[in-house]
Amino acid sequence: MSWYGPVRTATGGLMRHKVQAVVIGMVLLVSTASATLGLALLAAGNAPFTHAFAAQHGADLAVTVNPARATATQLAGVRDLRGVTAAAGPFAEATVQVQYQGQPWGQFTMAGRASAGGPVDDAVLSSGHWPDAPGQVVLDEASQDFGGLQVGNRLTITGLPRATSLTVVGIANSVTDTADGWVVPGEIAALQGPGTPPSAQLLYRFTSAGTSAQLGADLAEVTGALPAGTVTGHYPWLSAESQNTSNGAIMEPFVVAFALIGLVMAVLIVANVVSGAVVAGYYRIGVLKSIGLTPAQVVVAYLSRVGLPALAGCVAGVVAGNVLAIPVLSKSAEAYGVGHQGVPWWASVLAPAGLLALTVLAAFGPALRAGRLSATQAIAAGRAPAAGRGYAVHRLAARLRLPRPIGLGLAAPFARPARTAVSLAAIAFGATALIFAFGLRSSLDQASAAQSQSATVPVEIQPNGPGTAAGPGQWPDAAQDAAVTAALRAQPGTAHQTTVYEDGVKLPGLPGSVNAWAFGGSASWLGYGVIAGHWSDAPGQVDVNTSFLTASGLSVGDTATVDTGTAQVTVHIAGEVFYPDSTPTVFGSTQTLPGLATPGNLQQWDVALRPGTTTAGYVQAVNHALGGSSPWAATTQKDGGQFYSIAIGLIGTLSLMVGIAAGLGVLNTVLMTTRDRVHDLGIYKALGMRPGQVLTMVVCWIAVPAVIAGAIAAPAAVALNTATVRAMAATAHTGVPASFTQVFPPSRLALLALAALVLAAAGALAPAIWAARARPVVALRTE
Amino acid sequence: MIERSVIDHGAPGDVIQLDGVTKTYQGGGPPALADVSMGVAAGEVVAVMGPSGSGKSTLLNLIAGLDRPTSGAVTVAGRRIDTLSESALARFRARHVGIIFQFFNLLDDLTVEDNVLLPAQLAGASRRQARSRAGELLARMGLESFRDKYPARMSGGQRQRVAIARALVNSPAVLLADEPTGALDTATGQEIGALLRELNEGGQTLVLVTHDPGLAERYAARTVRLVDGRLAGAGVGALR
Repeated sequence: MSWYGPVRTATGGLMRHKVQAVVIGMVLLVSTASATLGLALLAAGNAPFTHAFAAQHGADLAVTVNPARATATQLAGVRDLRGVTAAAGPFAEATVQVQYQGQPWGQFTMAGRASAGGPVDDAVLSSGHWPDAPGQVVLDEASQDFGGLQVGNRLTITGLPRATSLTVVGIANSVTDTADGWVVPGEIAALQGPGTPPSAQLLYRFTSAGTSAQLGADLAEVTGALPAGTVTGHYPWLSAESQNTSNGAIMEPFVVAFALIGLVMAVLIVANVVSGAVVAGYYRIGVLKSIGLTPAQVVVAYLSRVGLPALAGCVAGVVAGNVLAIPVLSKSAEAYGVGHQGVPWWASVLAPAGLLALTVLAAFGPALRAGRLSATQAIAAGRAPAAGRGYAVHRLAARLRLPRPIGLGLAAPFARPARTAVSLAAIAFGATALIFAFGLRSSLDQASAAQSQSATVPVEIQPNGPGTAAGPGQWPDAAQDAAVTAALRAQPGTAHQTTVYEDGVKLPGLPGSVNAWAFGGSASWLGYGVIAGHWSDAPGQVDVNTSFLTASGLSVGDTATVDTGTAQVTVHIAGEVFYPDSTPTVFGSTQTLPGLATPGNLQQWDVALRPGTTTAGYVQAVNHALGGSSPWAATTQKDGGQFYSIAIGLIGTLSLMVGIAAGLGVLNTVLMTTRDRVHDLGIYKALGMRPGQVLTMVVCWIAVPAVIAGAIAAPAAVALNTATVRAMAATAHTGVPASFTQVFPPSRLALLALAALVLAAAGALAPAIWAARARPVVALRTE
Repeated sequence: MIERSVIDHGAPGDVIQLDGVTKTYQGGGPPALADVSMGVAAGEVVAVMGPSGSGKSTLLNLIAGLDRPTSGAVTVAGRRIDTLSESALARFRARHVGIIFQFFNLLDDLTVEDNVLLPAQLAGASRRQARSRAGELLARMGLESFRDKYPARMSGGQRQRVAIARALVNSPAVLLADEPTGALDTATGQEIGALLRELNEGGQTLVLVTHDPGLAERYAARTVRLVDGRLAGAGVGALR
C-alpha cells in the first residue's frame, strides 16, 4: 500500500484550505505557547526557593564574625569542621548609609567578593557585570528593587571621612540574601566608618541543616571553634526561605487559574478546529474514495491534513512559549527572590507533545468515521447543516421585528449546536479570563495601595537621614525627634502627622513575640484596610492583623491581655486589619499600649498633606528644615512593591494570550460556518443582501453564543477573582477587606461582560469581511 | 407581445442592453463571453441557448449583476450596473431583478413564506406590504397551504414555484431563469414553462437560459445562440 498518495492528497487538501490550515496552526501555536508558559510558571512556582537554593549552592548558615578576634588560620580552620560540606569566605563586609540623587536611600550591607561564584552562595547576575575595580558595586535584587536602583546609578556613601561613591555595575541575586551589595574586596576598608569594628562573613553548607535545631547545632559548632566574641551574628537559610517563599507563593493561585483556563481553552478550540476540518473534508474524501483510496489511506490522509499544520503550530508554539517565558520567568525569579528560572525541558516537550497528541486524538475519531463511510455517504456528509436543526429558531427570528440580516444571523448558530456550544465555551473562558484579569488587577491595586498606604500617607519621616550614625543600635536623640515634630507642625502643607512606635510585646499564653505598632496621635486617617470590625476609636481598643487572630484563637470583639514590658493591659479587639505578615501584630494608640512610646521604639512619622500640596515640594521643604545633620529624613511613599508590578505584568501577558486563543477559536468557528453556508451566502447575495448586511449577519452568527458566554463569564470571573484573591491573601497570612474583592460594581460588570461580545466580534470580523466581499457568483459556485 | 429583429445589438429603451461585453475568468483561457452586444425589450421573452461552456450562465450572471464583465457595458432597467459598487449592485438586484435557478436555491432552514419574503425584507419593504405580496404570490402559485412548510419536504415543481414567487416578490423589471426546468420531470417542466409564459403575458420581461430547444421554441419570442462565448445566431420562437 502506498502512503505517498494519501499524504500528497492531504497536502493537496491543505493547499485548498489554507485559511483553515493557518487557523489550526495558529490555534496550536497560541495554545502550545500558552501551555509551555503555564507549565513553566507552575514549575517556577513549585518550590522555587528549594530549586534555586540547590542550583545556587545557597548558604545554610551565613555567620558574621569580627576578624580581629581570630587569626586567619582559626577562621580557615572552621572549614574543616565535621559536618561542613562547603564553605566560603571570610568576605569582609561593611554596613554603610547610602544616598542617591541627594536622597537618603537606607542602610546597605556591602560584602567584598572577588567573584560571583564559589562553593557557597553563587550570586546570579541578572544584568551588568561583577565589580572589577574600586568604585563599583553589584546590588542584590532585593535591595535594588527597594528603591528602583539600576545599573549606571551612582550612589553616595555618607558618614565616611572621605566622600565616597559607588557606581552600580550590576544586579545579582543571592538566594540566601547574604548581602545588599558586593564590591571588590579591597573596597571594604574604604567603606568602614571610623571606629567601626571590622566585620566579615563566613558562608557554610552542612550535612544536616534542615531544621532550626540542626542549624543551631551547626552554629554552636562554628562558634565553639572560634575564640569567644568572634561570632557577632548569623543568618540561617530558613529565614531567607521564609522571606522569599511568602513573596512568591502569593502568585501561585492566579498563575494556576490562568494556566488552567488556557489549557481548557486549548482543548476546546483544538477539538472544534479538528472536528470542523474533518467535516469540511468529507466531500473530498468521498471523491477520493470513489477513485480508489482505501479506508486506511483515508485515515492517514485525514490525520496528515490536520496533523501537518498542527505539528507546525506546536513547534512554533514551543519556540514562542520559550521566548515569551524569558522575560516572564525573569520577573517571576525576581518575585520569588531567586536568581534564575528557565523553562524546564519537560515543559518544552510535554506542552507540544500533549497538544499534538490531543489534536491527533481529536482527529482520529472523525478520520476513522471518514474511512468507514462509503464514497457517497462521505460526499453527502460534508454538506450543510443537518435537516431539522435550528428551524424553529429561524422561524422565531423571522417573526421578531429585527432587520432580517440580524434575525438570520442570530438564528444561524442553532444549526450546529455542538459546534456552537464549544465556541460558546471558548468565548466564555476567554471572557472569564479577561474579566478576571481586570478584577484581579483592581484587587491588587487596592491591596498595593492599602499595603503601602501611599494614598493616605504620601510622606514618611524615617531614620535614614544624612546625619544617621553609622552602625545599628544608634538612634536619634530626643532633641532630634522633637525637631521633626516642630518641622512638621511648621509646614503649612501638613494635614495630619502621627508618630509611629514599634516594639515587641507579649500575649500571655501565646508563644513567641507579638509585634506592636503604637500611634502617637490620631491614626484613623492612616487608611489601614479593615477586614472585620472597625478601626479603634477609643482608649483600650486595638486592631490586629489576621496572623494575630490565627495565632491567638481570638476574634474581633474579644479582649486580650497585652504585656508591653512596662505594663499589662487588657485591650478590646476592635477590628482585623489588612497587614500581610506572618508575625502577629497589634495596632493601638500609645495611650492604649503604654510603654511603647520611647525614643528607641520611634520608627517614623506618617504624614498626610493638605489638598494642593505637592509631595516632592513638601519632602524637600521638610528635609531643608531638618538640615543636613538630622538623622531623620522625609521620603515619599512608593505605591506598591515589586510583587504587585510583576503580578500585574503577568496578568496582562496571560490574559492577552487567553484572549488571542479565544479570538482564534471564534475565528475558526465563524470560518467553518462560513464554509458550511457559503452557498446560502451566495443565495442571500443573489437576492439582494448588501455587503454591509452580510457582514452584520455573519457577526451576528456568534452574537447569541457571545451574549450567553458573557452572562456566564461575568459571575464566573467574580467568583474566580474572589477565590483567587482570598487564596493569595491566605498565602500572605492575611484576610482581605471586602472592598478588595468587590471590584465589580454592576455597571462595570455589565460593561466587562461585553468583553465576550468584543472577543466574538473580533474573531468573527475577518471571515465576515471575506463573506461580505465575496462575489455572489463565486459564493454560489463554491461548495 | 414584443417583436424585434432576430439579431439585434440593442435599442434605446431596451430593459436589458449589453454593449461589447467580454468576460474572462481568472486563470486565463479563452473568454467566457467575447464582445457580446444584445438587447431585450420590456415585456420580451428571450431564450439563451448554446452548448455547455458556451457562456449562457455567464451572460445571465452579468445581467443579474452577480458578476462583472471584464469589459463592455451592461445596462438593466435603464441603469448601467457594471460600474455600481457591490452595495449599490445588491440594492439594484433586490429591487429590479428576480432570479430563478435550476436547483431552486431555496434556503432550507426558512419556511416557504420566509423564503418568499426574504428579498422584500432585504429591499426594505414594510413587513405588512411584504407579507401581503408574498401571500398573493403564493396563492397565485397554488402554494397557499405550504406557506409554513420547509422546502426540503416539497416536490421539485413545488420548490421551483416557491423560487418563482420569491423572484417576483419585489415586482422586478427583469426575471432571469437559469435552466428553470432542468431539474424537473417533463410534466412538471411543462407546468413551470406555462407559468413563465403566463407571467410574460402579464408583461414580465424574461430571459431564459435553457438547453431545451422545445422550451425555447414554445415559450420564447426570440432565441439567442451562444457558441464559445460569441453570439452565433438567433431564431424566432412560438411566442412571436
